[in-house]
Amino acid sequence: MSAWGALFGGFAGTLVLTIMFAAGSQLRLTRMDLPFLLGTAWTEDRARARVAGYAFHFLAGLVFAVMYYAAFAVLGRAGWVLGMLFGLVHALFAGTTLVNVLLPAVHPRMGTSMSAASSSPLLEPPGFMLMNYGPATPILTVLAHLAYGAIVGAFTAATPR
Amino acid sequence: MGRYVALRDYAVIGDGRTVALVARDGSIDWLCLPDLDSSSVFGAVLDADRGGRFALRPRQPHEARRRYLPDTNVLETTFTTSTGVVRVTDAMTLPGGGLGPSREVVRRIDALAGRVPMCWRVEPRFGYGSATVRLDTRGSYPVATSGSDALAVCAWDAGSPRIEASSVDGEFDARDGASGTIAMIAARAEPLVFPTRAQAERRAAETAEFWRRWSARATYTGPWREAVVRSVLALKLLVFAPSGAIAAAATTSLPEQIGGSRNWDYRYSWIRDSSFTLDALLQLGYQAEAKAFFWWFMHATRLTLPRLQVFYRLDGGPRAPERTLPLDGYRGSRPVRIGNGAAAQLQLDAYGELLDAAFVYVTRGHRLDRETGRDLASVADFVCGHWREPDSGIWEVRASPRHHTQSKAMCWVALDRAIRLARAGWLPATPAARWHAEAEAIRRFIDVHCWSETKRSYVWYAGGEELDASLLLMAIMRYDRPDSPRLRGTVQAIRQALGSGPLLHRYTGDDGITGGEGAFLCCSFWLAEALAIAGRREQAVELMDQLVGLANDVGLYAEEIEPTTHEFLGNFPQGLVHLALISAAVAIGERMP
Repeated sequence: MSAWGALFGGFAGTLVLTIMFAAGSQLRLTRMDLPFLLGTAWTEDRARARVAGYAFHFLAGLVFAVMYYAAFAVLGRAGWVLGMLFGLVHALFAGTTLVNVLLPAVHPRMGTSMSAASSSPLLEPPGFMLMNYGPATPILTVLAHLAYGAIVGAFTAATPR
Repeated sequence: MGRYVALRDYAVIGDGRTVALVARDGSIDWLCLPDLDSSSVFGAVLDADRGGRFALRPRQPHEARRRYLPDTNVLETTFTTSTGVVRVTDAMTLPGGGLGPSREVVRRIDALAGRVPMCWRVEPRFGYGSATVRLDTRGSYPVATSGSDALAVCAWDAGSPRIEASSVDGEFDARDGASGTIAMIAARAEPLVFPTRAQAERRAAETAEFWRRWSARATYTGPWREAVVRSVLALKLLVFAPSGAIAAAATTSLPEQIGGSRNWDYRYSWIRDSSFTLDALLQLGYQAEAKAFFWWFMHATRLTLPRLQVFYRLDGGPRAPERTLPLDGYRGSRPVRIGNGAAAQLQLDAYGELLDAAFVYVTRGHRLDRETGRDLASVADFVCGHWREPDSGIWEVRASPRHHTQSKAMCWVALDRAIRLARAGWLPATPAARWHAEAEAIRRFIDVHCWSETKRSYVWYAGGEELDASLLLMAIMRYDRPDSPRLRGTVQAIRQALGSGPLLHRYTGDDGITGGEGAFLCCSFWLAEALAIAGRREQAVELMDQLVGLANDVGLYAEEIEPTTHEFLGNFPQGLVHLALISAAVAIGERMP
C-alpha cells in the first residue's frame, strides 16, 4: 500500500470516470459534463472552460485519491472492493452535496434554488443526485465513481510501501 | 361565475422562481411553492373549496381598482367602501442582503381615508390540496407544515392571527393613515426564516426599486411602449431564474372553454417559443436574460439532440408525465392536468424555431462556439432526414399526425438559417449543399401540396382545404418575399375565414379533441405583424390598437379570449401572447414614418 500507488490510481480512475461520462453524454444518457461545469467558473468561453475544467477535474481526482489513501491507512488495508465502497460514498456525497449544493453555492455562473429575478445565471443547477442533467445521471455517477474507487483501491493495494 | 373570479380579474406577482395570481378581490388564488412548477399551496382558481387561498379584503361591500406600481411587478389594489379607502400593495420579494426567507409574499395595507374593517384568511393546501396540513405556532407566528414544506404568517398591525380548523384568520380596522403588513413566508427542506416587519417592508421596497431599474433598461421607444414594457415585465416573471428557462404560462388547466376538457399544463419551457423569446429580449435590450435563455436551451436539448423535445421542464429535465388531479377545475372545467402528454410528440416546427433563435442570437452580436455549431449542424441534418414525416404540428393536435404546412415551412426555415450560419462561419460548411437541396425540396412540396387554388391560400396540411392561423408565421419568418402573392393571399384568406372582429381563431376543421375554444390572441398579434410586413401599415396599426385595448386592467393577457364577451380563457399570463405583442409592436414601429 503506497501513496504513489493511490496517486497513480487517482489519475487512472479520473481518466476512466471522465471517459464514462463522455460516453454517457455521447449516448444521450446525461448532460453531465464535469470539466465544463468546473471550467465555466472561470470563463464563458466553452472551449477554454473545458481546458481549465479538465485540469481542475484531474487535480480533484488526485486530491480525492489522497483522501482515499488516508482512509485505507486508517483501516490498515486497501483493495478494489473497499475502493468501490469508498466510491459509492463518494458518488452519494457528490450527488447530494458536493455538486448539488456546494458547487452552485460557489459557482459564479450557476443558478441555485435562491436565484431570483435579480440574477440571470447561465448554467442550470444540477439538482438532487444531478437529476436535472437527465434521469440516468445518478446511475452513471454511481457507476463512474465505483470504477474510480476500484481503480484507486487496486493501485493502492498493488504497490509496495 | 359563482365562487370563481373571472380570469380577466387576475394579476400576477412573482420573484423569478414562482408566480402568484392575485384576484381583484384581494385573494391570492394560485401559488406554487417553492417553484413555478411545484405543487400548489394556493389553488382556489382550480378548486374554490379545496384549492386554498390567501384572502385579504374589506368586510364591507367595496369597489376595487388596481394597477401595477409604474414599471414594476408590484401590484396595488385600492378598495373603496362606504366608510373609507384602503390600499393593499402586494409584492413577492427578491432576496436582498442578509438572511431572509426562502420565499416571501409581503402584503402592505395602507388606510388612505376613513375607517375600513378588514379581514384576511390564509388557507394553505399543500400538494394541490391533497396533502395533510398541520397548523401550529412557533412563538407568536402561525405555521402550517406538510412533509418538508412549511409556511408561516407574520402580521404586524393587521390583527392577531387566529388558528382555525384549517386556516389562519385575522381581522383589523384600517383607519386614518395607519398601515399594517402581513408577510407570508415559506420554505422547503430547510428552516423557516422569520423576518422582522422592518426587514419585510425593506425587501418589498427594494423589490419595487429593482423592477423599476430593470424596466428602465428597456431600449424600446416605439409605439405602444406601455404595453410592450408590461409584456416584458410579465415575461420576466415567467423566467425561472435558477435555470434561465421561460415557462409558457404560470398556470395549469385554466380552460380553453368553460366546462371544457382542453385544460393543459403550461408550466414548461417550449423550444417553439425560443426564437420569439430571444428576439424580444434582444430587441428590448435584455442581453443577460437572452444569453441565459440561449445557454439554457442549448444545454437542455443536449440530452436529446439532434432530436428535440417539444418542451423541457424548467429544471432542464425531459420528462413530464401527464396525470389528472382530483380537483373540480375552474368553474367545473375538468380534468385538471399536471404534466403534459405533448412532450413525446414529433413537432417539426420546433427545429426551425431553434435554428432561427441561433440565427437571431448571432445576428445581434453574440457568438456560437464550435461545439454549439456542430450541435446545430446535427439538427439541420436531422431536419433533412425527417421533414418528409407527418407530425403533430404547432398546435399539438392529438389527432393522427399530418403533413402540416407550417411545420414544413419551419423545416425550410431551419435549413435556410443553417445555410446562413454556415456561410458566416458559425456552422460547418460541408453539409450546406445537402441543406440547400433539401430546402428546395421542401419548398417544392409546399408549393405543390400545401396550396389551395380554391382558397387562394396555403392550407393547414397537405392535401386539405382547412386554414390555419399559424401560417401567418410564414410571413413573419420570411419564408417568402413580403409582396409574394401567395403569402398575401394566405393573410387575406386567414383573416376572412378565421377572423372574429380583431381576433382570430386558430384553424378551421377538426383537431381530434372534443369541445370548442376561444380566439387565440397570439394569432391576432401575428396577423398585425404580417399585415405590417406586407406593407399594410394602417390596417396593422388599427388592429394593434384594438388588440392592446383587449388586455385586462393591468395589461395582461391569457392564452385565449372569448370573441363576444372578451372573457379570458386558457392559461394566464401566457408568454407567447406577450411575445407576439412585442414582436408586432416592434415590426409596426420599424415601418412607421
